Amino acid sequence: MSYRPKILAAPLFVVSLIVLAAHASFVQATSAPYPQRIVSLSPSVTETLFALGFGNRIVGVTTYCDYPAEARKLPKIGGFTNPSLEAIVGQRPDLVIGVNESSHPVKAREMERLGIKVALISVTSLNDILNSIQSIARWLGNPEAGEKLTQKIARQIDAVKKRVAPAPRRATLLAVGIKPLVAVGGKNFIDELITLAGGENIAGQAAQPWLNLPAEYVIAKAPRVIIEAGMGSEREQPAKRWQDLKSIPAVKEQRVYYYRSDKILRPGPRIGEGLEEIARLVHPECFAESQRGLNPGSGCEGSRP
Amino acid sequence: MKVLDRRKMILVNGVLLILLALSVIACALLGPVRLDLARAWQNIFAANSDAEILFRARLPRVLLGVAIGGGMAACGVVLQALLSNPLACPQMLGVSGGASLGGILGLIFFPNWLLPIASGLLGEISWVPLAAFLGALLSMIFVYRFSLFHGRLHPYHLLLSGVIFNAFIAAVIMFLNSIVDFYQAQGLLFWLMGSLSTRAYLTVAFIWGYIVCGFLWLWAKGLSLNLITLGEEAAMQLGVETAALQRQIFVASSLMIGAMVSVSGMIGFVGLMVPHVMRLIVGGDHRLLLPASFLAGGIFLCWADTLARVLLAPAELPVGIVTAFFGGPFFLYLLYREGGKKPAL
Amino acid sequence: MNPSILIRNLSFAYQDRAVLHDVSLSVEKGKMAGIIGPNGSGKTTFIKILSAVLSGQGEVTLNGRNIETYGRRELSKLIAVVPQESRINFPYTAAEIVLMGRAGHHGPFALEGKKDLDVARTSMESTDSLSFSNRYLHELSGGEKQRVLIARALAQEPEILLLDEPSAFLDLKHQLHVFELLRRLNRERGLTIVAALHDLNLAALFFPRLVMLREGKIYRDGPPQDVLSEKTIGEVYGIRVRVERDPSGEKPQLFICPSL
Repeated sequence: MSYRPKILAAPLFVVSLIVLAAHASFVQATSAPYPQRIVSLSPSVTETLFALGFGNRIVGVTTYCDYPAEARKLPKIGGFTNPSLEAIVGQRPDLVIGVNESSHPVKAREMERLGIKVALISVTSLNDILNSIQSIARWLGNPEAGEKLTQKIARQIDAVKKRVAPAPRRATLLAVGIKPLVAVGGKNFIDELITLAGGENIAGQAAQPWLNLPAEYVIAKAPRVIIEAGMGSEREQPAKRWQDLKSIPAVKEQRVYYYRSDKILRPGPRIGEGLEEIARLVHPECFAESQRGLNPGSGCEGSRP
Repeated sequence: MKVLDRRKMILVNGVLLILLALSVIACALLGPVRLDLARAWQNIFAANSDAEILFRARLPRVLLGVAIGGGMAACGVVLQALLSNPLACPQMLGVSGGASLGGILGLIFFPNWLLPIASGLLGEISWVPLAAFLGALLSMIFVYRFSLFHGRLHPYHLLLSGVIFNAFIAAVIMFLNSIVDFYQAQGLLFWLMGSLSTRAYLTVAFIWGYIVCGFLWLWAKGLSLNLITLGEEAAMQLGVETAALQRQIFVASSLMIGAMVSVSGMIGFVGLMVPHVMRLIVGGDHRLLLPASFLAGGIFLCWADTLARVLLAPAELPVGIVTAFFGGPFFLYLLYREGGKKPAL
Repeated sequence: MNPSILIRNLSFAYQDRAVLHDVSLSVEKGKMAGIIGPNGSGKTTFIKILSAVLSGQGEVTLNGRNIETYGRRELSKLIAVVPQESRINFPYTAAEIVLMGRAGHHGPFALEGKKDLDVARTSMESTDSLSFSNRYLHELSGGEKQRVLIARALAQEPEILLLDEPSAFLDLKHQLHVFELLRRLNRERGLTIVAALHDLNLAALFFPRLVMLREGKIYRDGPPQDVLSEKTIGEVYGIRVRVERDPSGEKPQLFICPSL
């Protein structure tokens, strides 16, 4: 007698599975070939999307996405490390793009469980960045735009490389925090940018991408250029801070700069521009406009490391 | 009868003083960077990188470490007496939490305001430490009011208020941590785990003066501290104005802790561990325990900071991590070995 | 007559619970008085008020001066208290504990001098505790600890000695020892002794005057043979006893009569 409910249950179960599968594929089949509603989990991704011409498809960005200006008007889905799952779901995205070097992989699993499609890009090295631009372009259905953008950036990088090529490498400190002193370390794209700009990152052999540097280390490594970069806060006269350490060449020769922009801190499409701006700080003599008809950049060769 | 006499006082403090001097010299010479001592001394006033490493980067830091290590240890001793609790430490009063919060808020909202004092030779002095000290004062007043019952500071209530206040502050700090950007988060870590990286001799001198004054004042109360560990009643019956003493100790140690945390963030473990270790070595009489702990605390933090600079070179660790990491197991080992025996001297 | 201790109309209440009601008594210099009564009758509170740990309503006069006019340091040289028990969380030796009794006699930075050591030694000798002066307090037995605490009180060189149930945690031998010590101290040094006691038989044997408290009021005050009777014990303690004389014939001793 008790077998009857089980006998009924089995075919019922099978039928519901079939219906579910059909529905899922039906849903997939009716969605557009390329994602039209995109949520960006990172400012660099947002910039990339706009640069590739997909700005009109973005339906959600983080509170830190401030470039280009249009990005600020887009709906916000939370911060960089803590995007809000609810806000994201509320935007009904076709695709969410995040970066590997953050909390996004973990968040991605949660989102996928809710049926949201997530794609992650790597932005550790320069190559990664260029590849990721192309990947995003492909996912969104316009690989040519990706090609164009990466080629443009590659050209910018090459131009800078040529300019600083004659000059010897210059020991450089790129600091992203002051109290405590946080310097850019090795194995990341900013370190590569410093190298491309003709500099020698004094903390470049470190395994970590960021590290607290003690003052004595900076003194010992004697950088000729010190660049303080950072997001947001106004720092007046960084040179004053270093004044008591006059044995550092950068301090003695008054080559302590404050670089306001985050072009070189965001692994996005503006790194080419940022590279040039940094190179101008590291090797100003290579960018001096020609005087008395000399070729531009020729003042570079005789410069000291 | 074996009791504390002048000979023992001079012997113990003398030895510790010598060890301290040696530690200062050694720690100033050690670091992730090799130092050419001869060159450092030769042109000491010129822009000489070795001289700068020694005198601008390392020495102020070492001296600060001595002062703060000593101050934390001394505060630990008196707080253990005040709260009649061997587990008491400077973090318990809530003052360090308030100072950290003040410093963090200062870091977030106005990190770049500078005091109108000439920088350069003295390094920069920003408003952040002052914000931290203000936070310390406010939390001291707050905890004090909540521990006052019938005009008396009851140790039990003090402990409870301090712990609850700290928990609340920790929650606020964690909240701030979740909304600041990546670079500010580094600054937060500095406050929570402590760091001695200051270059301003003015700051170091100020802290030294402040801590030494506080220490001497507390040392004068050594005998009363002995009595108060017998229990509030017994102390009263033996002649101590306990209500006044409790107030004074609370205020003095809060002010000291507030100043220290303002400059270097919360460096934990020193105030808990050093008093215990010294108690095992020299006994529980506060007239000796206080100066001995002060000196030993300075030695300990000096070396801990050197390790913090050297362990993961070129990166430096927050010194609070080193104190906890090495201090804890060492303390357990000492307790295991010496726990049941008499003091060594 | 200038009494050492003069108490007039003393009342005390813990928040809402009244403990002492309108107590008046006086103790002459060099006399002994035992405060007896069941738990909660106010004995310990009485001792605490006398040592200025608590402060009640009414007048407490010591050596002709109101107790409130004394600074604590000054008071510690006049009155010494031996508490019921001592729970100390810190490691001190017996000698260190006794020397703390000398705190009222020297300045803040000063270390103990020869006189302090001599007084401490003498105090420990008279309480027979010198042999374990270098052992830690927490290593000692209850009786040994008690002797150390008495030595500490003696080291204060007081005129008045207050004790709060000094034999509470002691075995018979040590109980007797403590009472004999008290009698000796009273005779040899002329110490005024006021003690809260719970053992009525020993109180009767050693204390020439007993003050019986009942619910915070003085019920009887006088020599043991007047204070301890079947009637008074029945009314204050609520138990039945038979009162006999001790072998010397003078002091009353109680035999408890259980109800089957």
